Amino acid sequence: MENVGSLVLAAQDEITAAASTADLKQIEIKYLGKNGLITSLMRQMGSLSAEEKPAFGAAVNTAKATVQESIDNRFSALRDVELAHRFEAEKIDVTMPGRQTRVGYAHILHLTTLKIKRVLGGLGFRYEEGPELEDFKYNFDALNYPPDHPAMDDQDTFYVADDLVLRTQCTALQGRIFAQEKPPLRVFTVGRTFRNEAVDRTHNHTFHQVDCFMIDENVSMAHLKGTLGTFARAMFGPEVKVRFRPDFFPFVEPGVDYAISSPKLFNGRWVELGGAGLIHPNILEANGIDPQKYSGFAFGLGVERIPMMAYGVDDLRLFLENDLRFLSQFQGIAA
Amino acid sequence: MKFTYSTMRDYVATSLNAEALGDLLTMAGFELEGIEEETSEDPILDVKVMSNRGDGLSILGLAREVLAKDAESQPTELYLAAKSGFPNVATSRPAEALVRIDSALCNRFACVTVSGISSAATPDWIKYRLERIGMRSISLLVDLTNYVMLEIGQPLHAYDLGKLGKEIVVREARDGETIKTLDGVDRNLTAGQLMICDASRPVGVAGVMGGFDTEVDDSTTAILLESAHFVNTSVRKTRKQLGLNTEASYRFERSVDPKITDVAIRRFLQLLTSVLPEVSISELTDVVRSEPAEVFVELELARASRLLGMEITPDEASRYLSALGFEILATEPLKVKVPSWRPDVVRAEDVVEELGRVHGYERIPEELPVGHTTMGGVHGKYRLADAVVEGMIRLGYVQVVSHTLRSEHPLDAPTERVGPRNPGSPELALLRNSLLPGLTEAALRNGGKDVHLFEVGKVFENDEDGHRELAFLAVLSTGKLQPANRASDQPPVADFYSLKAELESVLRSVGITARFTADELPNEGRFHPGRRALVFDRAGDCIGVMGQIHPLVAEASDLPEATFIAEIWLDPAFRNAQENPQLKSISRNPAVSRDIAVLIDKSVPFEKIQAAIISAPTDLLENCWLFDVYEGTGIPEGKHSLGIGLQFRKMGANLTDEEGNQARDAIVAAIVELGGILR
Repeated sequence: MENVGSLVLAAQDEITAAASTADLKQIEIKYLGKNGLITSLMRQMGSLSAEEKPAFGAAVNTAKATVQESIDNRFSALRDVELAHRFEAEKIDVTMPGRQTRVGYAHILHLTTLKIKRVLGGLGFRYEEGPELEDFKYNFDALNYPPDHPAMDDQDTFYVADDLVLRTQCTALQGRIFAQEKPPLRVFTVGRTFRNEAVDRTHNHTFHQVDCFMIDENVSMAHLKGTLGTFARAMFGPEVKVRFRPDFFPFVEPGVDYAISSPKLFNGRWVELGGAGLIHPNILEANGIDPQKYSGFAFGLGVERIPMMAYGVDDLRLFLENDLRFLSQFQGIAA
Repeated sequence: MKFTYSTMRDYVATSLNAEALGDLLTMAGFELEGIEEETSEDPILDVKVMSNRGDGLSILGLAREVLAKDAESQPTELYLAAKSGFPNVATSRPAEALVRIDSALCNRFACVTVSGISSAATPDWIKYRLERIGMRSISLLVDLTNYVMLEIGQPLHAYDLGKLGKEIVVREARDGETIKTLDGVDRNLTAGQLMICDASRPVGVAGVMGGFDTEVDDSTTAILLESAHFVNTSVRKTRKQLGLNTEASYRFERSVDPKITDVAIRRFLQLLTSVLPEVSISELTDVVRSEPAEVFVELELARASRLLGMEITPDEASRYLSALGFEILATEPLKVKVPSWRPDVVRAEDVVEELGRVHGYERIPEELPVGHTTMGGVHGKYRLADAVVEGMIRLGYVQVVSHTLRSEHPLDAPTERVGPRNPGSPELALLRNSLLPGLTEAALRNGGKDVHLFEVGKVFENDEDGHRELAFLAVLSTGKLQPANRASDQPPVADFYSLKAELESVLRSVGITARFTADELPNEGRFHPGRRALVFDRAGDCIGVMGQIHPLVAEASDLPEATFIAEIWLDPAFRNAQENPQLKSISRNPAVSRDIAVLIDKSVPFEKIQAAIISAPTDLLENCWLFDVYEGTGIPEGKHSLGIGLQFRKMGANLTDEEGNQARDAIVAAIVELGGILR
C-alpha cells in the first residue's frame, strides 16, 4: 500500500516537472501504460490474501485515476502554451497579395444586355433576334418609310445588294414578328446596327440597340411612359423620371423622343435616351391587325448609351476595341 | 431654323422670354438647339424642325405653335394679316408674263413683274434680322425675297426682267443642256431635272437656285418675281444630283404650303412699296397645274384619349385644333379639315398626336400595361448562347466584342464572303466570316501572350444559295493557364489538350457531347495540320474546328506559335443540344481501381483504345482515363506507353478483388487485339 502511495507521489512530481506535452505522453506510458509502474501493481494481487485483495485493488484504481487526472490537467495547460508558441512562429503577413487564379469576365456590352434582358423579360417581353444583314423591306418599307427617304441613302446605309442592307435599326425586327405572330404580343431584341458614318468619340459605324414593342387592346402612351419609366429606373436607379417630347419616326404615331433625368445622375439635366411612340396604324393594317381594336407601343435606344451615362464612358470607340484595361473595370457590375 | 426673338414678337404678342419660348417650342416638337446672345435685347433662337414639319421653317408656322400651346400669347395684327393672305397692292398694268407649266413636277407658278425700281438700301431692321441669323445681306430685292421666306416659308426668286425672254416655261431639262447658277458654277443638266426656262434656255433650277445670267444687280430696274410650288421629291433629286443645298431646296424638300404662292408675292410687294412706293406692278399671273387635295379626318375623341392615356375634352380639342389651323366641321365624332400646310396629317392617329402635343406630353401619367399576360424572358437558342458565354467566363476566359465590318486577315475562314458595295474605306470592305481575326487583334492589343479570349457573335458566309448569317463561338488561348504568383510557381501553359477539355466542358454545359476527330476539312489552312481536330456533336454533325494555329499564320499574325484557337458553329450545334438528360442510377457500393500500362503503336488513336475498353466483355467498368503518356528510354521507336486508369463498380454489391482482376483482364485482352502489350 505504501508502494502505491509513493508511486503516485513520484508520478505527480514528474507531471509537475514535465516541460512539454511530449514529456507528458512519456510519463503517461511510464505509469499508466500497459506495463506502467502503476498498472503493473495489479500483478501483485496474486500474492495477496483474499481479505487484502479488494482494498489493494481499490487503492490501485484510485491511484490510476488520480495520476490520469493530473496528467490531463497538466496536458491542457501545456498544450495551450505550446499552441501559443506555434501560432506565434507560424504567423504570416496577411497583407501580402493573395495567390491569384485566372478569372474570366464578360464584356460590358454583354453585361448591359443581360441586365436589359432581365428587366424587360420580367415585364413580360420575350427576347427575339433578327438578322444583322437584313432585307431592305424589313429595315425600311415595313416600317412605313416613304420611298426615297434620306435614311436610305448610300451615305447612311451599308448596302450589300439593292434589297439587302446591314440593318440601320433593330426596329427591323418588328415587321418580321408582325408577319408571323398575332397580338397580344410583347417582344424585345438587343442587337448590332450599322450606319455608314465616320468614326469619332460619339459616332461609330457599328453600335448596338434595344428595340422593345407590344401590341394589345387599349395600349396607350401612358403604358409606354410607365414601361419606359420602369425600365429606366431599373437601369439607372429609383429616382429616374421620364419625359416625352414630340419627335418624328416613320414607324410611330404619335412619335416621341424620351429623355430621363435623376437628381443623382447628369446633374438633374434631361438626357435624351431614344425614340418611342405608338406603332403606326399603317404598320398594323399592313399586317392585318385592326387599329380600331389593337394598339401598340415601341421604343428603342442605344445599348452603349447606358454604360456611357451610368459609368462615365466618354468614347464610343472603346466598346469595340477590346482593351482589357477598359473591359476589366466592369467586373464589379452584377448584371 | 434660326430666328431672332423680335421677329417672333412681330407675329405673337407674348410675355414669354426667349428661354420660355424655346422650352415651349421644344415641348411642341421643335427642339431648341440653342439660344445665342441670350442676355442681349434680341436673342437668337435656333430650333430643330422635324423632316415632316416643313411648316415649322417659318416664323408664321412657329407662331401658330406658340399660340396653340400658350393661351396667354395673342396673335398680332401682322399674324392676322398673314393668316388672311396679306392685302392686295395697287397694280398699274395687266399681267404680262406668259407662263406655261410643261411638267407634273410643278404644281403652281405665280409671278408678277415690277418695273421702275430704283436703287435703294435694304431697311435696317430687315438687314439686321437677316444678318443676325447668318444670312448675308445682298441687295434690297434679294434680301426681301429671303425675308419673306423666313416669315412665311415660301421661297421667292427675283429675275432681272431685262435679261429674261418674254416667255416662262417650267419644264424638265433635256440631256446636254447647261445652266450657270447664281454661285457662278456651270452645271450640266440631265433629263428629268425641273427647270425654269425662257424660250431659249434654262434660267433657274426649280426650287433650288436661280441662274447667273438673269441675276438682279445694282442696275436692275425691272424684275419678274417668282413664287412657285414644286413636287418635293423632284427638288430633292435635282438638289442631290447637282450637289446644291439651299434655303429654298431645304424648304421645298420638306414641304411648303401650296396655297401661299400669291400670299408671299403680296407680302414682298408690301415690303417693297414701303421702301420704293413709286414702282409699277403688274397684275398677278397664277398658273395652277395641280390643286392640293383637301384632306378630311374623322376621329372619336374617346379613342384619342384612350390612345394618349389622358383625357382630352371636346372644348380642348376644338381649341387646340383651331389654333393650329384645322377647320372643325363636326364635333361628335370630331371631323376636321386639315390645313394645306400640314401634309403630314392624313389619318386619325395624326390628329391624336396633334391633340397630345398641344395638351402636353408631360401630362401623360405613367401606367404599366394591363391586359394579356405574356411569357417574357430569354428562351431556346438565345438562352443557350448566353449559357455559352457564362461557361467560357467560368473557365477563365475574357469576353471580347469586335467589329463585323473588316478587311482581310490570315485567320479568315475558307468560305466565300459578302461585303457592302459602299464600304467607304477598305477596312470596312467585308463582313467577317470568322471571329478569329477579331480575337487575334484583341490578343495583340493586350500584349499577345498569356491571353485567353473568346467571342460569341454573328459571321456571314456566301454560296450559290445566297448568304447565311450564323452565330459562332471563337476561342483563343495562349501562354500560362494560371498566373505565376511567386518566382517558384510553374503554372501549366495552354496546349491542344487544355483547349480541348475546355471546349468539352463548355459544350457539355449546354447539353452538347463533343467528339474530336482528325478528319480533314477542305481548304482549312489556319491550323497546324498535325494538331487540329474537327468537332462533332452526338448526332454526327460537324460543329466546329480547333487546334494549334498554323506556324505560318502565327507568323503572319504576330502571334506566338503556341497559340490555340477554336471556332464552334453554335447555330448547327444548338440544333442537337440535349435539353433533358436522363438520370443514370448511382451505386452506393465502393469502387475497385486498377491501373494498367500498355505499350502500343503511336499510330493507334486513343479513341480506338478507349472504344475497345468500353466495349470489352465486362459490365463492371464505371470509368477509364489516361493518366500517363511515355516515350523515350526503354520504349521502341514508333511506340509509346500509355498509363490507363480503370474503375469498376457494381450496383447493390461490393466487388471482390478477383472480380476486379477479371474485369481488368478482359479489358487488357481487348487492347492486345489492337496490338497492345501489357507492360
